[in-house]
Amino acid sequence: MVRAFCAAFASMVLLLSGGGAQAGTPRDALVIAWNLDALITFDPPQIGEVNGNDIIVGNVCSTLAQYDPKDSSKILPGMAESWSSSPDGLTLTFKLRSDLKFPDGTPATAEDAAWSLQRAVLLGYFSSATLTQWGFNKEEIADQIQAADATTLVLKLTKPYPAPLLLSAAFANNNVAVIMSKAVGTKNAKITDGKSDLGNAFFKTAPVCVGPYHVARWDANDVVILERNENYYGPRPGLKRIIIRHVPESSAQRLLLEKGDIDVARLLSTDDLKALEPNKDIRIEQTLMQQMAYMALNTNDPILGNPKVREAFRYLIDYDGLTNTILPYKGVPRADLVPEGAFAALDRKEGQPFSLDLAKAKQLLTEAGYADGFSKKMILSANDINPAIAQHIATNAAKVGIKLELEQMADANLFTRGRNRDFEVQLVGWGAGYPDADAMVSRHAADPDPRAEAKLVGYPVWRTGWQNLDINAKAEAARLEQDPAKRAAIYKDIQEFMLHNGPMAYIYQNIRPIAVRSSVKGFEIAPFFVDYASASK
Amino acid sequence: MRLAGLKGVVRQAGSVAATLLGLLALTFFIGRMLPNDPVLAIVGDQADQSTYDMVRHQLGLDKPLYVQFFLYIRAMLSGDFGDALFTGHRVADDLMKVFPATVELATFAIIIGVGIGVPLGILAAVYRGSLIDHVARVVGLLGYSSPAFWLGLMGLILFYATLGWVGGPGRLDVAYMDSIDTHTGFMTIDALWEGDMEVFWNAVSHIILPASILGYGSMAYISRMTRSFMLEQMAQEYMVAARAKGLSGWAAIRRHAFRNILVQLVTVIALAYAFLLEGAVLTETVFAWPGFGHYLVAGLLAGDMNAVLACVLIVGIIFIALNLLTDLLYRLMDPRTR
Repeated sequence: MVRAFCAAFASMVLLLSGGGAQAGTPRDALVIAWNLDALITFDPPQIGEVNGNDIIVGNVCSTLAQYDPKDSSKILPGMAESWSSSPDGLTLTFKLRSDLKFPDGTPATAEDAAWSLQRAVLLGYFSSATLTQWGFNKEEIADQIQAADATTLVLKLTKPYPAPLLLSAAFANNNVAVIMSKAVGTKNAKITDGKSDLGNAFFKTAPVCVGPYHVARWDANDVVILERNENYYGPRPGLKRIIIRHVPESSAQRLLLEKGDIDVARLLSTDDLKALEPNKDIRIEQTLMQQMAYMALNTNDPILGNPKVREAFRYLIDYDGLTNTILPYKGVPRADLVPEGAFAALDRKEGQPFSLDLAKAKQLLTEAGYADGFSKKMILSANDINPAIAQHIATNAAKVGIKLELEQMADANLFTRGRNRDFEVQLVGWGAGYPDADAMVSRHAADPDPRAEAKLVGYPVWRTGWQNLDINAKAEAARLEQDPAKRAAIYKDIQEFMLHNGPMAYIYQNIRPIAVRSSVKGFEIAPFFVDYASASK
Repeated sequence: MRLAGLKGVVRQAGSVAATLLGLLALTFFIGRMLPNDPVLAIVGDQADQSTYDMVRHQLGLDKPLYVQFFLYIRAMLSGDFGDALFTGHRVADDLMKVFPATVELATFAIIIGVGIGVPLGILAAVYRGSLIDHVARVVGLLGYSSPAFWLGLMGLILFYATLGWVGGPGRLDVAYMDSIDTHTGFMTIDALWEGDMEVFWNAVSHIILPASILGYGSMAYISRMTRSFMLEQMAQEYMVAARAKGLSGWAAIRRHAFRNILVQLVTVIALAYAFLLEGAVLTETVFAWPGFGHYLVAGLLAGDMNAVLACVLIVGIIFIALNLLTDLLYRLMDPRTR
């Protein structure tokens, strides 16, 4: 019996080593390992998380305009070959390319473009803010956004916002400035209580857009496969298929990458990245994202409401020390609210004037009347490097008499606490929606109404209960300033003020590390999009 | 007599239904009390209140809890499990994918567990106190005590990365993805269905390592139980009688002792199998196995009660079905119940 078993086992091993020998990825496909847990929809305006955005924007759905991959603050043409503002600044006209086609070959027109933009506002998902914050609204949208002819899209504005700001904020590399098929959306619309979903339920798994790829398959928590569109207007994508596999574990991603069974690993821990560094077959690319990690200090709290106490918190962060210990592959220390790379951001040095200074912190606390310190609770996500950062700050805080008690929780829970203003100190992150200082200033500095009943939950500054009317006025003035130099000057002014007085102590700007096999060429990665179409082998 | 039998069936069906309903109610209300907000899991931290309220209303979460539960049960009875909020797909569609993945893995695992565990347990009992008994004990203890997560990773490093004997994480090599149609959702069966032996062997090369690691845990349990059942039987007087009759040692063990432990053994194996069918989250995570355990936990973390309740229902049904099955097997194997 034992002998028979051994023989069976040996033959099994032989068979398997034959069967498993097919190593390497297909020549015409890019294989990416990622965590696909958060994906819930591919209907562009409904997408509210990073992974879906990354897969869809620019890859499945091209956009009207796009950021220069080398410098996000510059805007290049996309599906719109040009645009112009009327002399009074109240009309913005896009001239679309005439060779736009959906994956099945049907022409895409300005009519489809107008429908897609209107749809984003009408559906009312989070992305609708991309347009509604510039005066577009559900009631007037049919009049505000119209197709004049097959290639001309006309937008009526409520205020003369400067075109570069508007283009950056609403029409480049986002999930709203896309062209979806009006015919398919109308045909597959689901009507409930007399209200059309504008094809939302249908597009959720199968969006029909103008773009280099289309979604060929999506199995939840398993795999997403994109296939090349042969009649795409732009340069022909280098690879036929993009295969994104759900591999939630960092070590498993690393093994697959080393073995050559995937081309790109997108979710590696610091340890795994370090281990891959000497490998000649693999390159590690780090992209500075426009996302900030910070401590939000609730100013409704009598102690944290004191500006001196808040400034003291900045001196408890050992920016230099973090650079070498916790932040490699993860972030760059930064105390400014506007991330580096955005229009009008302070440069790296101006944006990070603080250093660990316990004496200074103690002095500020004494001036504020808290020489003996106090106790506060800090809530944070249990993910990634958050616990290490929090521990680091709590240790320094203890040295000046501040007892920071740490409470870790799941993300969803952490967000709920923030939105309900149910925290003293919250360690959390925020991604800017577009590479312009306005993106952060309008949500982190200008607070239209700090009262609890205003429920401006999508404004981190509201969550802290902080408001400064002078900053509000400056932020509004900047939005309407036509001269770029003057606009930048106003934002610099706001940033300088916020650095010392704002309700947030910013800690670092996120880095997104990706490990890629050297056989893959191209594959451009920028803060607001990853260009799968540029990849080749 | 026949009427009494019918009554019994009705009573049993009633108690099964009541058990399942209770299970669902308990899961639903506990799940809703957790601080995980399914709306926020969908709209994200940046969303405004109006978006939040709109989605909350769309999901029916603004209705009272008991109404939500009632609506859910009503839809479920008509065969509609609703949408999984955290995947954007129909729950039924998701389950059609994740459940076969787990059943396939669990089946391979239990075959390995039984195939090695039972012989090992018998040998350990027969050669009690010998080297083989000690080895079996140590191997079993290791199986009990090593975390599946660590074992999985070590297995991958050795057998996949270093030796290249088995496939890596996932159910198939990327090159074979999409090369066969889905019939049953079982990769190996679908490959045989299409007659594609290359895909079949590739699927086996991917399943063998996670199945061995899960099977190792079951093997440890099964071999320990087999050993103690056997020892109990071998001490019985009928064994002495059988040998006195002239039966050789192994024949007596096979024909008498082993046959007598079958009933108990089946219960142990059924339980081990049911346990595997619930899905092994950690193993599934390391091996990027798109299975049931991972699905259930992700649903729970997102506060997605549609998905969680459907999963709980399936687990409940598995246990009940396996119980009924073991009852049936008892009748077949134990002459006294005939």
